[in-house]
Parts: sequence; C-alpha cells; structure tokens
Amino acid sequence: MARRPFGAWLREKTWSPYAAGALLGLVVAYSEVFCGRPLAASGAFDKLAAYPGRWLFPSSQYYRYVMSPGITWQVWLVVGLLAGSFASSRLSGEARWRWLPDTQWQERYGPSRALRLGIAFVGAVLVQVGAGIAGGCTSGLAISGGAALSPGAFVFMAGMFAGGIPAAWLWYRGRAG
Amino acid sequence: MLDVIKPLVLGFLFGWALHKAGLTHYARIVNVYRFRDMTVMRFMLTALVVGAFAIQVGLDAGFAASAPVPPTSVLANLVGGVVFGVGMATAGYCPGTVVAEAGEGRLDAWVAGLSGLLVGAMVFGLLQPLVMPTLSRVGSYGRITFAGLTGASPWLVLLVFAQAVALVLLLIGRIVRASESSPPQ
Repeated sequence: MARRPFGAWLREKTWSPYAAGALLGLVVAYSEVFCGRPLAASGAFDKLAAYPGRWLFPSSQYYRYVMSPGITWQVWLVVGLLAGSFASSRLSGEARWRWLPDTQWQERYGPSRALRLGIAFVGAVLVQVGAGIAGGCTSGLAISGGAALSPGAFVFMAGMFAGGIPAAWLWYRGRAG
Repeated sequence: MLDVIKPLVLGFLFGWALHKAGLTHYARIVNVYRFRDMTVMRFMLTALVVGAFAIQVGLDAGFAASAPVPPTSVLANLVGGVVFGVGMATAGYCPGTVVAEAGEGRLDAWVAGLSGLLVGAMVFGLLQPLVMPTLSRVGSYGRITFAGLTGASPWLVLLVFAQAVALVLLLIGRIVRASESSPPQ
C-alpha cells in the first residue's frame, strides 16, 4: 500500500470491502467479548416501537409480557451508527439530502418519489418482520451470531438468499440492466 | 454512563464501516441477489472471519467466559430469513443500512425506511403470539455453537470455517468479476 496521509484515508469515498469488513469484525468482537452483547441493529426498532405498540395494542400479549419499551444499549448503538455514517459520508463529500437511489433504481422504476417511498416502506416492514421471526438481522444474527459460530446464523443466511433471489428476479424479470 | 458511551462508539464505527464499504446504495444490496455485485458478501464474510478469530482470542485470553450466542431455531431462522431476504431485495435495505443511508442524507430512508422498520416491529409484535409457538417447535436447539455441537476444538472449527469462507470468496470472484459495477450505481 502506498504511503498516504491518514486524513486522506478517512476522506476516501470507499474502502476495500475487506478493510471495512475487518474493521466491523473487530467491532463485533469487542462488543461480544467486552460488552457481552451482539452488535445488532434491528433490536433497537423493537424497543422503540414498543412505545406506540404498548399504547395502540394494550391487550397484546407481546407488549404485555415480552417486549418492553426503552432507550437501551441497542438504541444508543443505532444512534452511533447514524453518526458514524454521517461522519464518513461528510468527510468523503457524499452527505447530501436526496430522495431517490442512484441510477439503477431510476432506470428500473423511474423518477417518482412516491413509488420509491411506497416500495421502500413495504420492504422495510418485511425486513423488520423477518428479523423478528428469525431472532435478529444481518448484523445481530448473521454477522454477530455467525462470528460466535452459531448454526442458526447460517440457516438465516440461507433463508435470506432463498427469499432474496426469487424476489430480485421478479423485480428485474426480463430486464438486461 | 459507559452504557451509553460504549454503544455510541461501537455504533459509530459500525456506521463508518457500512458507509466506507459502500453499503448505503440500493443497487449494492439488491445486486447481491442478482449475482452482479458481491461487495456485501466480501464485507460480511470478512467481518465474520475476523470477528470469529478475534472473539476466540478474547475468550482464550480470559476477557470473557463466553460470547453471546443467538438461539438456533431452524424453522424460525429459515422462515425469518426468507421474509427478510424478500424485503431486502425489494427495498435494498436491511435494518443497519437503513440507518446508515439516513446518516448519508437519504430522505427515503428517513421517511419510509425508519417508519417501515417501526411499523414492521409492531406487525411482528402482533404476529408473535400467533406464529412463534409453531415456528419455534421445529429444530430448536437453544444457544448452541458448531464447536459445542461437534465437540471439536473451537480453533479447529475456526480453521475449517476460514477455509470455507476463502473458498466462497474465490468462487464469488470467478462468478461476478466480469459484471461487477465498480462505482456504486
């Protein structure tokens, strides 16, 4: 690797996925060994959604006995995540307000904001429901659980592909791009 | 106080890594499932192997007695994974990258992504008493690991695991090298 100033490295738009992945691996290990917790994103949304959930569904068994609301460790993790992505994108000059994903989305779905918001919302609901059923998401189950060598993490990853491949095929059926 | 500072710092590095790996792009996520861009797989598998070795070093050095192991419940892990994969291939989101996209200024993540995750959490809350008792009846083994399951040394499991990941990365490189979109589209 050529010598370059540390500041320039922090400002790069992308790192090698191996370098960024190694950083994430060390963060996961610190979290598991020194904090005794998986590095998990989806749990924060379960905790936050329990505030309105408990109020909207007062007779729900889940909100009565299983999920209590709270500003927990996981919620602070997600707040940090937001800040980290902002800092990285700000330093690389990519942080700016925008409504639509980049070219591939617009070639497939056109310039409508409403369509993006609708599809993004449905996808996000499915993602969080799936994480709830599986017991974690890409970070908390697949990566953190996988690093702890849990078989369930690999079953979950197999499921991700079993669902994702046909879904992506349906969305892009008959398209070259 | 440390219970706030530690997750904030770890989360910061998590968000930093997601952005630097280029995972805040719809196409990067969706194209995994179209075998056109394997950046996410390279990033995830590297994190898995580095994390697994670092955890084992930490345990052997006596910093902790054990790592938190999520429960293996085969049917629930699988069905949840399928639903998750459909959502991920539809929106180009997973819970972590929605937040990372919001940090980058993407308004679809702020408006539809974060609200979708919160609504999804409530939908799961309503489904949980209906579906989870059935799903968790099949193949529930609790908090097992491959090492515990096979009785092998965790280091041996790690070596086999690292070799398997290296093989997968090699195969991925063969399959998608030609079509990979180098700047995220």
